[in-house]
Amino acid sequence: MALAAPPALPLPWRRSRERPMQAPAPSPAPPRAQGPAEEQPDGPPPAEPPPQDEKEEGEEEGGEPEAPTGPAEAQQAAAAAEEAAEEAAPQPPEAEPQPGSGRQSPEREEPEPEPEAEPEPEAQPAEEGKEKEQQQQQQQEEEEEGGEEAEAKPEPPAEAEPPAEPGAPQEDKAGEAAPAAPAEPEDELSFSDPEDFVDDISDEELLGDVLKDQPQEADGIDSVIVVDNVPQVGPDRLEKLKNVIHKIFSKFGKIINEFYPEADGKTKGYIFLEYMSPSHAVDAVKNADGYKLDKQHTFRVNLFTDFDKYMTISDEWEIPEKQPFKDLGNLRYWLEDPDCRDQYSVIFESGDRTSIFWNDIKEPVQIEDRARWTETYVRWSPKGTYLATFHQRGIALWGGEKFKQIQRFSHQGVQLIDFSPCERYLVTFSPLMDTPDDPQAIIIWDILTGQKKRGFHCENSAHWPIFKWSHDGKFFARMTSDTLSIYETPSMGLLDKKSLKINGIRDFSWSPGGNIIAFWVPEDKDIPARVTLMQLPARQEIRVRNLFNVVDCKLHWQKNGDYLCVKVDRTPKGTQGVVTNFEIFRMREKQVPVDVVEMKESIIAFAWEPNGSKFAVLHGETPRISVSFYHVKNNGKIELIKTFDKQQANTIFWSPQGQFVVLAGLRSMNGALAFVDTSDCTMMNIAEHYTASDVEWDPTGRYIVTSVSWWSHKVDNAYWLWTFQGRLLQKNNKDRFCQLLWRPRPATLLSEDQIKQIKKDLKKYSKIFEQKDRLSQSKASKELVERRRTMMEEFRKYRKMAQELYMEQRNERLELRGGVDTDELDSNVDDWEEETVEFFINEEIITLAEPE
Amino acid sequence: VTGGEATWWDTRHVLTGSADNSCRLWDCETGKQLALVKTSSAVRTCGFDFGGNIIMFSTDKQMGYQCFVSFFDLRDPSQIENNEPYMKIPCSDSKITSAVWGPLGEFIIAGHESGELNQFSAKSGEQLSNIKEHTKQINDIQTSRDMTMFITASKDNTAKLFDCTTLEHLKTFRTERPVNSAALSPIFDHVVLGGGQEAMDVTTTSTRIGKFEARFFHLAFEEEFGRVKGHFGPINSVAFHPDGKSYSSGGEDGYVRIHYFDPQYFEFEFEA
Repeated sequence: MALAAPPALPLPWRRSRERPMQAPAPSPAPPRAQGPAEEQPDGPPPAEPPPQDEKEEGEEEGGEPEAPTGPAEAQQAAAAAEEAAEEAAPQPPEAEPQPGSGRQSPEREEPEPEPEAEPEPEAQPAEEGKEKEQQQQQQQEEEEEGGEEAEAKPEPPAEAEPPAEPGAPQEDKAGEAAPAAPAEPEDELSFSDPEDFVDDISDEELLGDVLKDQPQEADGIDSVIVVDNVPQVGPDRLEKLKNVIHKIFSKFGKIINEFYPEADGKTKGYIFLEYMSPSHAVDAVKNADGYKLDKQHTFRVNLFTDFDKYMTISDEWEIPEKQPFKDLGNLRYWLEDPDCRDQYSVIFESGDRTSIFWNDIKEPVQIEDRARWTETYVRWSPKGTYLATFHQRGIALWGGEKFKQIQRFSHQGVQLIDFSPCERYLVTFSPLMDTPDDPQAIIIWDILTGQKKRGFHCENSAHWPIFKWSHDGKFFARMTSDTLSIYETPSMGLLDKKSLKINGIRDFSWSPGGNIIAFWVPEDKDIPARVTLMQLPARQEIRVRNLFNVVDCKLHWQKNGDYLCVKVDRTPKGTQGVVTNFEIFRMREKQVPVDVVEMKESIIAFAWEPNGSKFAVLHGETPRISVSFYHVKNNGKIELIKTFDKQQANTIFWSPQGQFVVLAGLRSMNGALAFVDTSDCTMMNIAEHYTASDVEWDPTGRYIVTSVSWWSHKVDNAYWLWTFQGRLLQKNNKDRFCQLLWRPRPATLLSEDQIKQIKKDLKKYSKIFEQKDRLSQSKASKELVERRRTMMEEFRKYRKMAQELYMEQRNERLELRGGVDTDELDSNVDDWEEETVEFFINEEIITLAEPE
Repeated sequence: VTGGEATWWDTRHVLTGSADNSCRLWDCETGKQLALVKTSSAVRTCGFDFGGNIIMFSTDKQMGYQCFVSFFDLRDPSQIENNEPYMKIPCSDSKITSAVWGPLGEFIIAGHESGELNQFSAKSGEQLSNIKEHTKQINDIQTSRDMTMFITASKDNTAKLFDCTTLEHLKTFRTERPVNSAALSPIFDHVVLGGGQEAMDVTTTSTRIGKFEARFFHLAFEEEFGRVKGHFGPINSVAFHPDGKSYSSGGEDGYVRIHYFDPQYFEFEFEA
């Protein structure tokens, strides 16, 4: 967790609205950058941003993936799906043919005209539990704004009319909010074109932006709702009932038609209402479903179209077809390397070639080399199982011994991806695909099945990843203004069907060691800023810390989740300038005690020791930069261990195993490197990789690679391999080298005790390894000497031949130069004339003034 | 003078070629101009044959004129007087950027802009052999003292060693920067390379990035064993002293640096 802001990350999505991700421009946002990405001034284009509240509501139930198994549930699902239609409509079935995936969605896309309005709704809403009701009430509050907003939209008349332009390019959007398309206004007389005028400009070209909002063709039944559980009354009380119904249901829009079926002089207990527009109907379903009229009567409200749809679903459950098992081989074969070597990927030739190597002390051993394997860059999955490549049309995952393709995810123009920590899900982002009614900007995929799990809009997010995963992959969360939405897997639905309303939330972060979220909100008038730790899924606040005069906070978790450091920038009252404090939360202790470290200088970078209780801070102003190491003791005391002054560094790289740290002065600092052992705080080595742009520890903490990427610098593109102590092992120059990524390793399978035992017996093991090393080293030097010897022999052979020829030609040479032998420098030494050249030197002595 | 220059083997005469569209022969001692050959474009490279009787020079492809190699026999003064070379070889494909005489004056070895190497007969003008081992322009060709081998310096960041007669490719010396000049030691199996980032490519004028260094390689092992820094512009030319005890380099920075080798240089040996 580097505190320093990463270099100006060119946000790929900004550049490439039209052309997604051309060549990875200088330092493309390496998706691994954990730091904050640059602010994104122009968010991806939500053509018509749905009102925040409404959208949220939409999400509340949007992701119900259970297959509707009975009519009752079907109805519920329908209702839910309708709600969600705007923002989070599940995929239409045709896109997702797998049976049992449960993604049947209300197909408003193909409404069948059904003029008679007397269907007997068979599926009576039966047992909608109380929870639903409660939830309804909860929603109600948040809902209101959304409802109003929807109402405010100008609505065309509800009567279905033939569309002005048959075959207009909006077919695909049929079923959109507006039902009818009024014919375009006729031209005024004086503006008519001559009769022979041929209009060769399509309306699309002229007013595509207006046409987009053109009302859609619909047959009007979209606007009809069915209300069940209405009191059965005789004609005497019908008028009264109608008044009540009107009062309740005209909240959502103007009711233009109503029908109360009767039998035996009494109403049947269900009614039909037609609104001006389908959006009103959707609103009514969303809000009035579950409305408690009195003790006996709780309304069940459904869209008329839903009945039709869910009636056609077969009652028989079809057994999904068995998918043949695809043997992918051992996806973790690389962990079985007898020498425990690690792999890394290298992109070079400005991105045209990608290779995978074994890291070997002698020289890298190539395993795989492919041209145009990826169009931009690659990423490893968190446990190293998959290699993801980027393509215009989507993402491909590769793995196994031969790096065969394992999975493909089709997402046009994909630019950023993120794996869930458990490697089960993949999140992809594309700026191209999003449409208001079909969220496609961000898609969550199931890696094992390749199925799309859910799509999301991307409105205003400036940071990738937009969705942050909990450490176990059970939850993922995203922040929008004043809202923190937490979703759960595998359903992909909102946790407890409700987002958290947190006014002013600025940032949040999952603990890497438990399902705890930390978030902070800035000061609001008299309410202090606060950092909150919340346990999930219980949503229990386990610690709240109030802070005053806060300018900014940054959350830094220690890799195990043992500690949280909140870097707080404050402007104390009566002072000028910013003061920085570190608020250290000790997560493993009762009540989560907090200690404060006050920093006197400005902070350049902060990083926790991954598996320990130390942290490193770079502070000061260039050129006076110091690094300080602190230790959080068991009693909570935070001790300054050591400070080194005059450092050339702007980034901290801890070894993944802790203890060792490399301080690097990347980019503007010319690639200065300092290797520090923090157990006794010794500077092991100071070195330099001139103009280095990246530093990468191998997953075991044995080696470290520094590199000059072509993305940031056009010359001397190379990667150098060092030991953790700072001994340079290899300089690998690669033509237009771009990126090196170590293949991550999964967590160790050894227990704590086993590790302890190994550490105890280290001497025993190290002997074996040392011997192995000696052997391979002597072999290497032997090989080198051997190679030189053969080269020398060959060269001598050649020289001998050449010299023989040369001697043969001696006479010809003598002839050509008139008998003068020029073969040796001193062949004609007798002819040399000695010449003496004399220089006359004047000596002048100037006495300088005597020093006093 | 941007073109080549060459001296006669007994250093009596010097031949200069220039971008002023002329090639001139001078007397070394007196500085008197002995002959002047006017050309239609800049003279890129020139040289005496082994005997010192025949001169050749190549002209640039320029201002609508083709690249030619012209041969004059100095023993026939009329050739110079009338500006009528006894032979003129056209090179229309890729211009000659560097050329030297082969042993015994039988042919010349020409390096081209395309990276090709050609042997042209000095008698018939016939192309004797052609190879392409370099991917970019050949900036310099220098022969070994006995003229059995020559080394090329190329813009493709390498220098390569060839046999003069067969044009057999023997060795490659790799760097990270364009090589402008390479020279063979007369006494050791050593080679020195000079070059560096082209001045026009250097945006941030840092001598560290430019790598304006003279670099020493072992001729047989192709391994680098030494570097000499000092220039602050690309090195355009390197040469060993005929006794092999010093070398000099001329750079774009306007300096000629003369370096005498330390005693260690003479003691150094590769483990083999």
